[in-house]
Amino acid sequence: MKISYNWLNKYIDLKFSPDELKDKMTFGGIEVEAIEQLGRDIKQIKIAQVVKTAKHPNADKLTICQVDDGTEIKQVICGAPNCEDGIKVAYAEIGTQIQDFKIKKAKLRGEISFGMLCSEDELGISDDHDGIMILPKDAPIGTDLASYLGIEDTCYDVEITPNRPDLLGIIGVARDLSALLKLPLNLPESKLNESSEPIEDHLSLENKVPELCTRYTARIIKNVKIKESPDWLKKQLISVGLRPINNVVDITNYVMMEFGHPLHAFDYSLINGKKIIVRKAKENEEFPALDEVTYKLKKDDIVIADEKRAIALAGVIGGENSHITSKTKDIVIEAANFLYSSIRKTAGRMKISTDSSYRFERDITDENAELASIRACELILEIAGGELLKGELDSFPSPKDLTIVSIRPSRVKKILSIEIPSKQIVEYLTALGLNFIKESEDNLEFKIPYYRKDLTREIDLIEEVIRLNGYNNVPTFLQSQNIMNKPVFYARRKVEDTLVNYGFSEVINWNFGDPNDLDKFNIKKEDARRNFAKLKNPLGESFSIMRSMLLPSLLKNALFNINHGQKNIRIFELKKVFTRKDEKLATEKLHLSGILSGEFDPAYWKINTQQIDFHDVKGIMEDILVELKVENCEYQKSDEPFYQPGLGAAVMSDRKIIASLGKIDPKIAIKFEIDIPLFAFDVDLEAIFAMNLFHDQIFENIPKFPPVLRDISIVISREHKYVDIIGTIQKAGKNNISKIVLFDEFAGKNIKDGFHSLTFSLVFSSDTKTLTDEYINNILKKVIKALKNSYNAEMR
Amino acid sequence: MKEELKKVVTSAKSEINSVVSMHNLMQLKSKYIGKKSILNSFMQKIGSLPKEERPAFGQTLNIAKNQIEQMIADQEEKIKELDYNKTLQSESIDLTMPGRKRAKGSLHPITKVWREIEDIFMSMGFEVAEGPDVEDEYHNFDALNTPQDHPARELSDTFYLDNDVLLRTQTSTVQIRTMENHSLPIKIISPGSCYRNENDASHSPMFHQVEALFVDEGVSFTDLRDMLNIFVKKMFGDKIEFRIRPHYFPFTEPSAEIDIICVKCYGEGCNLCKGSGWLEMGGAGMVDPNVLEKLGIDSEKYTGYAFGLGMDRIAMLKYKIPDMRLLFENDIRFLKQFS
Repeated sequence: MKISYNWLNKYIDLKFSPDELKDKMTFGGIEVEAIEQLGRDIKQIKIAQVVKTAKHPNADKLTICQVDDGTEIKQVICGAPNCEDGIKVAYAEIGTQIQDFKIKKAKLRGEISFGMLCSEDELGISDDHDGIMILPKDAPIGTDLASYLGIEDTCYDVEITPNRPDLLGIIGVARDLSALLKLPLNLPESKLNESSEPIEDHLSLENKVPELCTRYTARIIKNVKIKESPDWLKKQLISVGLRPINNVVDITNYVMMEFGHPLHAFDYSLINGKKIIVRKAKENEEFPALDEVTYKLKKDDIVIADEKRAIALAGVIGGENSHITSKTKDIVIEAANFLYSSIRKTAGRMKISTDSSYRFERDITDENAELASIRACELILEIAGGELLKGELDSFPSPKDLTIVSIRPSRVKKILSIEIPSKQIVEYLTALGLNFIKESEDNLEFKIPYYRKDLTREIDLIEEVIRLNGYNNVPTFLQSQNIMNKPVFYARRKVEDTLVNYGFSEVINWNFGDPNDLDKFNIKKEDARRNFAKLKNPLGESFSIMRSMLLPSLLKNALFNINHGQKNIRIFELKKVFTRKDEKLATEKLHLSGILSGEFDPAYWKINTQQIDFHDVKGIMEDILVELKVENCEYQKSDEPFYQPGLGAAVMSDRKIIASLGKIDPKIAIKFEIDIPLFAFDVDLEAIFAMNLFHDQIFENIPKFPPVLRDISIVISREHKYVDIIGTIQKAGKNNISKIVLFDEFAGKNIKDGFHSLTFSLVFSSDTKTLTDEYINNILKKVIKALKNSYNAEMR
Repeated sequence: MKEELKKVVTSAKSEINSVVSMHNLMQLKSKYIGKKSILNSFMQKIGSLPKEERPAFGQTLNIAKNQIEQMIADQEEKIKELDYNKTLQSESIDLTMPGRKRAKGSLHPITKVWREIEDIFMSMGFEVAEGPDVEDEYHNFDALNTPQDHPARELSDTFYLDNDVLLRTQTSTVQIRTMENHSLPIKIISPGSCYRNENDASHSPMFHQVEALFVDEGVSFTDLRDMLNIFVKKMFGDKIEFRIRPHYFPFTEPSAEIDIICVKCYGEGCNLCKGSGWLEMGGAGMVDPNVLEKLGIDSEKYTGYAFGLGMDRIAMLKYKIPDMRLLFENDIRFLKQFS
């Protein structure tokens, strides 16, 4: 629903800027979904006077005008036929932005134009585009047009929740805001001057469906003059997105916006039999509606009819056969109410949504009909003239008493946890229009006004109290402790799970260690791992230190399992290691170590199993590092003394060793009585966690264009490292190669000694275009040339 | 010429109906109705016919073409069906032969229990805190209100690295460190390794413990019982009841020991619970005001509860592991049972 700031301001002295009001409404429960500054474009337009005109020498239809905008005289070329000397015009100077259009200095057939004279259509004021807008003679030169016309306003598009039909009119919103903002409310008071002629002499009413039409009132005004509405009325309607039609219709719309209660006006002369009948439609009864469509009705639809035919589809749309035209003299003002579910059904089935059906579908009140009718008649008499007949026809089958609801301050505290004093509760609720009746021990009684049908229980009142107190004024107590490092916590679990998925079993050893194990591992004298955290009272020599390495324990676990007949060993341990030199306590670092031997995959009848080799371990290491978000790392020769020479690698990142992997030197394995090939890895988790690599994954666009695959095979000397070769390919391919997969390597047959053949699959992709064969071939040529130049590699 | 055409159609029919490969069928298609086909050659001969015969022959030719097209289409369907049936034949297998598996690993039963405990407590707003295994005497004993002459401080009970540096005997040390470094309220658990100088069938010199600590305004003994109840039910199942008995710990007052109904006999009495129907689970209590005051916390304003549980014991009870030594032997046949 649309609400205008200026309109609201009529009933309540707002004291807040339009922007401030937006937040006040939203946090009061009337959510502002959009906000529109009316007249913002027009604010840039200046009132100016055309002081001199001359024919354009090169164009018949153009006029060269000299325009005075209050500061200087400017030349403007104008194409409008009504451009004359002396008129006051709407002038847009250079730089003015109207919607998407920016006014620039222009040359028109050789003559320069500094700006533009605008039509009403161009300014969005009306549909008039016959010529430029001509302002009254007394319009002050230099004033902006928005101020002059008084069309500066802010329009809010608000969402009215289904429980608050009272907010479907601007008065309802003003009432709620007055309670929320603690500002006084000034509502219009209507007085009617009736003639002595009773309405009953001219019209009768029969409500045949009291269960569907819960109220129907009609008043008659004779001798009205149908014409255009006065400016203020038109402006007011436009400000909330309604189109002015004629004075009577505009007034019914205006009152609908004010009270939230739709009205309808009939041409009295078109009512057959001078009788209004509210009834159900006949099955397939035809009804010609105001929107020039003839609807086929069903027997559950409610119609307003005269003695012969339906003249309105109740609550939804008026009839083509009875509406107000310029010839209308006597009018009937209908203010009624209908069962909301029936209106919803009819409007839904016919796919009609009018300002009227929007409100009737939301269960508005019977009582409001009367107020809206009086207000409309008052305005019609004032604006369209005429005489109001005495009295009204009113069918109000079952008026209801106002309900009484109690609220316990102790219950408010229970729901809210903070205390709101009784006095404050009374203040809040009376501001909303509730009538405070009496107070007894922990109990406040209120009479609920007719327009708040939603307040039926204590909890409804408590909601209002909390709302007026401000949801965000309710304190919060819990604090985020931020004690644990969640990314590290979960990374640790993920690494464990990764290894379990690779077939590893986790072991847990005592953290006590044997210093002799480091000798067996050839750990050098100066190695920091020899700074033992030594116990004064150990269980024995072999438990005399806190472990500074996990691998010796794992080797012992491997031996235990080999001795118990296990062939395929895959175990890991994730635990702290300890060193102690000058520190008071110890240096404790989380490490992850693992041992593998035997076959990589379980025996399977279809394929031959393979013994674990270095590349299996490397694959596992690469997966672990992915889980730990280590993206940039290099594999180099390891200095660890316990790997078989040439088969041990150190993983470097940021110039630090973060892990190692390789084959355990058989000479060391034998010291632990193991004579089968063993592979091992060790990850310094503490070092990786310290690199602070954890971050939430940020979505990347999925490539729109399909990737293209190309294979290349090269013969190259074994001297050159794989990592260098793919670096060269990557560089030569610029950003076009998204992935390089090595899928074959072999030596021997037809390949000379010291050389081997490598086959790569290159994946080409682009975010911006489909890659053509020609384009890819060109890149491939560059790649091949680079491989030749750098390594003397030959294509196969 | 009409006769000739008839012969062509007949021979086409027999040829088409006898092919069984898509390739051969396509060859016949071009032979009969393709660009350089037999039918096309008839088309070119139309010109040699008398004018009045041309339309009739053209029509006949068209009919022949349609017939052959239809034959090819029918045969195509047949061949497709034939190929499909061949695929079914060649791909049929013995469904009972074993599937291809990857090696399957396992988490240590202590880790499984450890994670489960973390998840239970985290779901109730606790955070997981950590601290060093190598501790000073202050955090392990003094700050926890342990008297100077308490037997736990003896070399026979505790591993020492120096006179006042030791291996923590409980993870309560983490509580002290957390309270030193974070403002209240604090709601944590601290799982980790602990050490005591004992080694026999029912005591391991290294074991795993989890402690819970909740300090805030208004934390009560009722909250402690509430939390223990929920924890026991979530960990062991709704059937498992718990009880607490008065006890003594230097750092809690009132102190209590926690028992749960025997997970094996549900209270009937068995060898696991030595006939009592109950199993001892750990210690609990309200944090001693002295502990709080030593940390500069106003013990009038703040109260807290703490409890500690042995994770190794929980793992043994949960998985019915009969001997503690199995936990640290790392026999793969044992470990793989917990995958």
